[in-house]
Amino acid sequence: MALKALDIYKILPKKNCKECGDPTCLTFAMKLAAGKADVDLCPYLDDNAKSVLGATTRPPIRRLKIGIGERSFTVGEEFVLYRHDKTFNNPPGIMLRVSDTQSRDEIASVAARVRDETFTRVGTGLMFNGITIINSSKSPQVFAKAVETVENTADLPLVLVAETTDALAAALVHCGTYRPIIHAATRSNYREMCALAKQHGCLLVVRAPDLDDLAILAKDCAAEGVQDLLLDPAPQSLNDFIVRSTAIRQLAITRTVPDLGYPVYLDAARNALRDAYLALGIVKYASVIICDPLSPEATKASLTLRQNIYTDPQKPIQMNPGIYRIGSPAKDAPVLLTVNFSLTFFTLEGYLESSRIPCFMFIIDTEGLSVLTAVASGKFSETLVRDAIKKFGLENEVSHRTLIIPGYAAPLSGRIEETTGWKVMVGPRDAADIGEFLHEEWKQ
Amino acid sequence: MGLPAMFDWNSVIREVVIGATKSDGGTRAVSYRIGGGTTLPFLEKTPKPPLIAFELCDSPQYWSPIITNYCGDVVNSPAEWAKTAGSAYGADIIRLYLTSTRQRNYSDFEAVKRTVELVLDATGLPLIIEGSNEPKIDSEVFLKCGEAGQGERLLLGTAEASRYRSIAAAALAYNHSLIAQSPIDINLAKQLNILLKEIGVPQDHIVIDPYTGTLGYGFEYSYSAMERIRFSALKGDTDLAMPMICSAVDSLSVKEVRDAEPGTRDTMAVAWEFYTGIAAAAAGAEIICVRHPDSIGKLKEAFRSLAHSKVPTGGD
Ligand code: B12
Ligand code: SF4
Repeated sequence: MALKALDIYKILPKKNCKECGDPTCLTFAMKLAAGKADVDLCPYLDDNAKSVLGATTRPPIRRLKIGIGERSFTVGEEFVLYRHDKTFNNPPGIMLRVSDTQSRDEIASVAARVRDETFTRVGTGLMFNGITIINSSKSPQVFAKAVETVENTADLPLVLVAETTDALAAALVHCGTYRPIIHAATRSNYREMCALAKQHGCLLVVRAPDLDDLAILAKDCAAEGVQDLLLDPAPQSLNDFIVRSTAIRQLAITRTVPDLGYPVYLDAARNALRDAYLALGIVKYASVIICDPLSPEATKASLTLRQNIYTDPQKPIQMNPGIYRIGSPAKDAPVLLTVNFSLTFFTLEGYLESSRIPCFMFIIDTEGLSVLTAVASGKFSETLVRDAIKKFGLENEVSHRTLIIPGYAAPLSGRIEETTGWKVMVGPRDAADIGEFLHEEWKQ
Repeated sequence: MGLPAMFDWNSVIREVVIGATKSDGGTRAVSYRIGGGTTLPFLEKTPKPPLIAFELCDSPQYWSPIITNYCGDVVNSPAEWAKTAGSAYGADIIRLYLTSTRQRNYSDFEAVKRTVELVLDATGLPLIIEGSNEPKIDSEVFLKCGEAGQGERLLLGTAEASRYRSIAAAALAYNHSLIAQSPIDINLAKQLNILLKEIGVPQDHIVIDPYTGTLGYGFEYSYSAMERIRFSALKGDTDLAMPMICSAVDSLSVKEVRDAEPGTRDTMAVAWEFYTGIAAAAAGAEIICVRHPDSIGKLKEAFRSLAHSKVPTGGD
C-alpha cells in the first residue's frame, strides 16, 4: 500500500538541509509519495528508513533499461491492470530468436533484419527490438561465436539463453558491457548467475513455474545484489501464461507481493502457437517477448497490436491543425480538407503521395476524431471549417476557392458552402480512390 | 500452493443459449451456452474456449473478393457455403448476412425465409442471422427470419439504439436471442440494454456487440470497451452482464490487407483476423466472428491452449 506524504515525512530526517534538491523535507516527501523522486537523493536516511520507503515509493514494477545506445529500450514501471485506468507505459520488447547451431549467415541475416526492418504506421516506425541467442549446441565456444556474429552485425539489445554459466560467461566476453539479458536463474544456479550478472552488469531472468517460488527466488537474487530482474513464470499453455502473468501484475501493482514487482519475460518461440503467445503477451503484461523470426504478415499484425495496446485510449494521437503540403503545390493546386486524427492524416497523405499530384492538405481540429466519428458527434461543423480557413490564412495560400471534402462529410457540403463562401467538392469516401478522383475531377 | 485470490468480484455474466437441439425443440446438432463467467477471461477454474462464427452471405457481390476468390463456387449458394463452413472450415457457428436485402427496393421477403430454411437444412450448427441494412424493411425481414428459424434459438442481429424494435419483436415472438450493438462505448451499451429490457427482451436473450474496430483502425478503443464492460458486469452491473460477440468486419478492407502483395493477401487477412480475435477473446469476447476460412483452425488451436487449465487459479 502506498504511503501518504505525511507518513513519509515522519520517517525523513527533518533537517530541511535542501541537499535532496527540495526546499524542505515535506516537499521531498510529497514528491516521494507521487513516485517522482528517488529516496537515494537524501543522504541522511538510515538503512531502515530507506528500505521502508524504497519498497513503497518506487514504482510497483521495476523500471529496466535493456541494452545501450540508440536501440536500448525501457520496460516496467507499469501501474495498472486495465489500460483504461491509466494507459500502459512501456511496450514490450520483441526479441527475434536465433540458435547458435544456425550458420553464421543465417544468424547475421536475422540480426540485420532486426537492425533494418521498419514498418511505418501512423507516422511511427515500428520495429523489433533485439535478438535472442539460444545455446542449443551446449558448447560455450559455439555460443560465444554466435554472439560475436550478432555483435559484428548490429548493436542491438540481446537475450542470452543458456543452461550453464560457462556458456554465458564465454558469450558475455563479447557483449557483457552492453546490458544484455541473461536467462535464467533457477533455485539450483542462482548464486552463480547473480555473480555473473553482477560481474557484467547484465539483467537477469529468474525462472520458476510456481509464483511463490518465483517471488522467493527474486528476493534471493536481490539479496545477492542483483535487482535488475525479469520474471519467467515458465508457462506450459496459453492459459498458464494468462493466469500467471495476470497474477504477477495484480500482486505487484497492489504491492501485495513486492518481490513480484519485476517485468515479465515470455518465451513465445513455440512454433504452432507462436502468434497466439505473442498476441497474448502483448495484451497481458509481458515486457520482453522472445520469438522465432516472424512472417511479414505476422510482423505487421503483431507490431500494430502492440502499437494499439500501448496507445492511450483517452487521447487519440493527433496532428496539429493547419496547412500541409504534398509535393510543391502551386497556387492553383487542390485543397483537401480533413480532420486532425493522425490515422486519418497519414492514411490520406499516403494515398495523396502515390497519386503524384501536388496539393494542400487542410487539417481542421476535430479533437483527434476520425471523419465519421467527428461527423456523427457534431465535432465536424461548417463553423469549424470557416474559422480554420481564417485562422490559417487559406485564402492567401491558393488562388482558387474550392475545397475538397471527405466523402463521409457529404451531408455538410451545403452548409460549408453557405458559411464559408467556398465551393465544395465532395471527394470519395475511401482515400484509396483519391488519386483517380483528382485525375478525373480536378481541372481548374 | 495456489495463487492467492486476486479479485473480489460479486457477480456473474449471464448465460445465453444459442441453438436448440432436438431435446430442446430444435433441429441443431449442437447448442451452446455462453456466459457464466465469474472473473476475468480465462482465469476461471475451467475456462471455456470462445466460439468461432464463420460469416457468410447470400449475395456475394457485397463480400470481399479475397474471400470469394478463396472459397470458390460455394459462395453462390449460402446453403452449400454454410455446410462447407461446418465440415471443411471447422466453424462452431454460422453467421449469415442477408446481403441480398441490400438491393434497392428489396421486397422478396419469401426469399429471405427460403434462404434461412435452406441454410438451416444444410448445417447442424447454430445460426446467427444478420437481417437488413434498411430500417424500412427491417420488420418484414426479421419476422421472416424469426419464423423460418422457429424453435432453433437463433441469434438475430443487429439491434442498435436507433433501430431495435423490429428485431426485438421478432426475437420475442419466436423466442430467439439478439445482438445489441453500440459504438465502442460502455454507457451506450448499457443504455441500449435498458431500452431492450423496457420493451420486454429477457436479459438472457441478449449478446453485447461493443463494436470492434479492427487492428490498427479502432481496436485500441474496442479492446478497452470490452474490458470495461466485463469489469462492470463482474462488479454487479446487471445491465452489462451479458456475453460479448466480436466481429471485426473491417479486417478485410484495411490498407495493410488490401494493399498486400497478391500472393500474401490471404495470410495477411488471416493475420489481421487472428491477432484481433485473440486479443478480443482476452478482453472478454466469447464469440469471435471471422470471414477467412483459414482463421478458424488457427484460432481454434489457440483457444484450446487458452482454455486448458492446469494451475489452480485462486481462492485457495
Ligand atoms: C475508433 C472509433 C471511435 C473512437 C474514436 C476514434 C477517433 N479518434 O476518431 C471512439 C471510441 C472515441 C468513437 C466514438 C464515437 N463514435 Co466511433 N467509431 C470508431 C471506428 C471503429 C473507427 C474510426 C476510424 O478510426 N476510422 C479510420 C479513419 C482513418 O477513417 P476516416 O477518418 O473516416 O478516414 C477515411 C475516409 O474518411 C477517408 N478520408 C479522410 N479524410 C479525407 C479527406 C478527403 C478529401 C477525402 C476525399 C477522403 C478522406 O480516408 C480515410 C480512409 O479511407 C468507426 C467505425 C468505422 N469502421 O469507421 C466508428 C464510428 C465512426 N463511430 C460512430 C459513432 C456513432 C461514434 C459516437 C458518436 C458514439 C457516441 N454517440 O458517443 C462517438 C463520437 C465521439 C465523441 N467523442 O463524441 C459510428 C458513426 C455512425 C455514422 N455512420 O455516422 C461508427 C461508423 C461506428 C458504427 N457503425 O456505429 N468512435
Ligand atoms: S536531504 Fe533529506 S534531510 Fe535534507 S531536506 Fe532533503 S529530505 Fe530533508
